[in-house]
Amino acid sequence: MSVAAAIAPGTRAALAELLLTTADDEFVSGFTDSEWTGIAPLLEEDVAISSISQDELGHARALYQLLAGVLADGRDEDALAYDREPHEYRHARLLDHARGDWADTIARRFVYELADEARLASIGTGYRPLADLVEKLRREERYHRMHLVAWIDRLARGGPVPRRRLEAALAALGPDASSVFTPLAGERALIEAGILTRTLAEADAAWRADMTTVLVPLGLALPPHAPPPADGREGHSESFRWLWGEFTAVRRSEDGATW
Amino acid sequence: MTDPLALDPVLPVRQRSERPWNDDLPNDERYAHFEAHVTAGGKIEPTDWMPDEYRTAVLRFVEMHANSELMGVLPEREWIMRAPTLRRKLALTAKVQDEVGHAQLLYRVAEDLGKPREAMLEDLIAGRTKFHNVFHYPTKSWGDIGIIAWLVDAAAIVAQQALRDSSYAPYARTMQKICWEESVHIMHGRDVVVTLMNGTDSQRVLVQEALDRWWGPLMQMHGPRGDRAKDRDLHWRIKAKTSEELRQEFLTIYVPRLLELGLVIPDPDLRLDEETKVWSYTEPDWDELRSVVTGHGPRSQERLEFRRLNREDTRWVRDSILAAAPAAA
Repeated sequence: MSVAAAIAPGTRAALAELLLTTADDEFVSGFTDSEWTGIAPLLEEDVAISSISQDELGHARALYQLLAGVLADGRDEDALAYDREPHEYRHARLLDHARGDWADTIARRFVYELADEARLASIGTGYRPLADLVEKLRREERYHRMHLVAWIDRLARGGPVPRRRLEAALAALGPDASSVFTPLAGERALIEAGILTRTLAEADAAWRADMTTVLVPLGLALPPHAPPPADGREGHSESFRWLWGEFTAVRRSEDGATW
Repeated sequence: MTDPLALDPVLPVRQRSERPWNDDLPNDERYAHFEAHVTAGGKIEPTDWMPDEYRTAVLRFVEMHANSELMGVLPEREWIMRAPTLRRKLALTAKVQDEVGHAQLLYRVAEDLGKPREAMLEDLIAGRTKFHNVFHYPTKSWGDIGIIAWLVDAAAIVAQQALRDSSYAPYARTMQKICWEESVHIMHGRDVVVTLMNGTDSQRVLVQEALDRWWGPLMQMHGPRGDRAKDRDLHWRIKAKTSEELRQEFLTIYVPRLLELGLVIPDPDLRLDEETKVWSYTEPDWDELRSVVTGHGPRSQERLEFRRLNREDTRWVRDSILAAAPAAA
């Protein structure tokens, strides 16, 4: 019997939701960042952001693979990633924001990266394959964090234009910042199974404290303090519909073909 | 292009490597030493004295190569967002990232010869310097993505492998890394093509149509036949092979591979002379090549305009970062 088959049915649905929301976050984030490949502000940065987007897509792929094992309905990671209608994606509203300019990208990536870190830190050993994967993801995310904190610092202290752009970008994301912690229906079951070690509301608090350590010394405002919206992973934006149209274009051109 | 005569050597004389011609000699003697060294297969480091003629030639060659890597990003970049599986998406992002990385490495090699990177980028987007013909054409389907990664990179690697022996040592060293990465791109491209050829009828049509579109530019890519004796880049051993040698090499390796997959090469006159092992082919359209590389290709102006707009949009980032960099690094 596989590890996935050993999970209680109630926990299985909750675990699938956790995997799907996390995978969709990484998938959409990786796709949006990959728009910079070839056109980032500096060649060195171009190489860096391309690596980060590949990491995020690699994480999404690994999470969809775990999800495929848990669902066991015949869909592989590509079918899970690509073959859905736009409204079926469960990524956080924070990631619905378009690529924007460089300040928008840095602000969105920074807010998301620290939120993802708080989420990963909330995952326990209840489902071993996920715990093993999270250990690997956290090793890579450390470098993403260093990269982003360096950029936040540079833009904040890089003169009036970069600072104004960064402040505007952070302000525009503010209302959607906590959507990564949108409560999951099966949170209770996940905690009982040891798959989560704390609620997402508690992770949200840890994330705010973490952001404080970076933003406050630079005199930057934190996103407004508000509980995560109940519908923070529903009803996606026009810019996501555009993205969806792009990433499904070739795949949908011929149903069932191998690419 | 910056007048190379106006450029100072990168390092003062005493910091250059130990070469007989680095000493304070009359120019004619230095030149004779230098030429004997280079034509005998010797290497030149950026800190060595070199004739302006050589410096200019290497700079022009490397700058065009760097430009080509950077502009070569654009035709494929458009398809990163449309890659149809996670594996293809990762491979294509990594490939395009490699090309950006190559541009960065090559601009650094060129910078050492005295022309700042920003000046090279400004010259590129103003249309004052060139990039390879193949990057002036549109990409119309996923089939193009396979054909470009396989055959355009293959044609490039035929030339680039020969550049690992370049007399300009930093360029030769950079080509070692670039060739290794390009060989991975070729495997990716071939895998895309083979998957499509083993797929549905319409997928096979995608590949054949792409090959039909790209064959002309591929045959032009290495340039018209030239006289070996008159080619200064060959004389200085900046490059090692003539255009025709490269084209023949490309045909010898790839024609059998294309035929093996059931593809039709759109040149009725293409054939191999079994005795001489020389390929004959329909004369490539050299007028098209000249027109394309001087900025009159089907996507030349659109791609340059895209780069211009992108540079404007991101200028504020460079202004802030480059200004904030410590003065003496």
